[in-house]
Amino acid sequence: MKIKVSGLTKVYNNKQVLNIPKLEIEKGSLLGIIGPNGAGKSTLVKIIGGIETSTSGLVLFDGKPINSNLYQNMTMVFQKPYLLRGSVFYNIAYPLRIRKVEEEEISRRVEKILDEMDLVEIRNQKSWTLSGGEAQKVALARAIIFNPSLLILDEPTANIDPSSIAIMEKIIKKSNQENGTTVIIVTHNLQQANRICKDVGFMYRGELIEIGSKEKVIRNPENVLTRDFIKGEILI
Amino acid sequence: MFIINGFKEAIYLLISLDAELYHVIILSLMVSLTAAALSSIMAVPIGILMGVKEFPLKKVAVRFIYTMMSVPPVIAGLIVFLLISRRGPLGILGLVYTPTAMIIAQTVLIFPIITGLVYNATKEKGETIQNLGKTLGANRRQRLILLVKELRMNILTAIITGYGRGISEVGAVMLVGGNIRGQTRTMTTTIAMLQSMGEYSIAIALGIILLLISFILNSILLYYQQGDYR
Repeated sequence: MKIKVSGLTKVYNNKQVLNIPKLEIEKGSLLGIIGPNGAGKSTLVKIIGGIETSTSGLVLFDGKPINSNLYQNMTMVFQKPYLLRGSVFYNIAYPLRIRKVEEEEISRRVEKILDEMDLVEIRNQKSWTLSGGEAQKVALARAIIFNPSLLILDEPTANIDPSSIAIMEKIIKKSNQENGTTVIIVTHNLQQANRICKDVGFMYRGELIEIGSKEKVIRNPENVLTRDFIKGEILI
Repeated sequence: MFIINGFKEAIYLLISLDAELYHVIILSLMVSLTAAALSSIMAVPIGILMGVKEFPLKKVAVRFIYTMMSVPPVIAGLIVFLLISRRGPLGILGLVYTPTAMIIAQTVLIFPIITGLVYNATKEKGETIQNLGKTLGANRRQRLILLVKELRMNILTAIITGYGRGISEVGAVMLVGGNIRGQTRTMTTTIAMLQSMGEYSIAIALGIILLLISFILNSILLYYQQGDYR
């Protein structure tokens, strides 16, 4: 799914928190959005994901504005995901059930992803008994089970253990490479952006300061703000 | 000593299936269950709607519901009595001193409790659940079903809390029912009456039943809260 953002702004309590004149994300991209806290990263992806409205501007998906049909092909995973009251299996199967997939096919696909994400042992465990890392993995599995065209991840691996991070990153890359899913991932982890992203965008105070390949933005940033952030200097 | 004798007599009355005692118990259960059911049918959708939608004067509506949640039962009874008494606007219906009047009074009492509790739960989790449904591709109907499913424990808790209020109150049913023997006498009005007469055995028996009902309801709630479903 190709995304085109133009003239996007968001104002909260008379304060402009987002100002993106133009952003184009090609189909099949794996774009990382980095930046300090309060840069507007989450606001941007929530607007793209359709769960927040902009003050002005337009977001087009394959040339069309957001509508109910588009939600069938896109999804978001949040930093603190909400899991449904039920088992791990129930959670992951949910998107397939609402799409009226046959139960046999649901079982097959869920079992496959449980295996890929090392969740087999907890397939019947209730969602409220899961650890943070397990919950994040289940949320990701639930998001990709229906092969979305667009996958938006808002700090999906914050505060989870390295082995879970590795599994999640592998699945994200696989979804992008094998299914052509366009992925936008907000991350504070520069190493992660370097590991999995093809392109990286740096945001600061609601603006997209620099965007390009990871080689360019992370290793040879042009903008001084980007350079300072990469070096680890705090930007307020 | 009189307390122990009262307990012994109470157990005897319960085991011997005393007709008058059981009429009181069944009437109480019928009135409160009906009132809780009627309240739930209205209150649950209204509570959910208030939790997810913005509408004019919403703040006023919320404050009104919160106020009505703690209205004294006798006031609810008084309001209903004034409406349905022979001189009232609905006096022609002949409802005063009937179980129907008691159901109406308890519905007035229970409705804001269920509405308020469901509203609170929806306000807390509704947006998150709706957004999750949206991001997983659920349509509007599916999101509503998801919301109700996710809030089912909160809804059950609200209904049981509302029912508990109904079965345990005295004032409203006393005013609109009149505590007429064999017709509108409930467990709580009977206890109040017998206590003032110094007759404790039936009062204790009814007290045991009320506690038993409360225990059973909370056990049901705890069972489902422990999540034995998929």
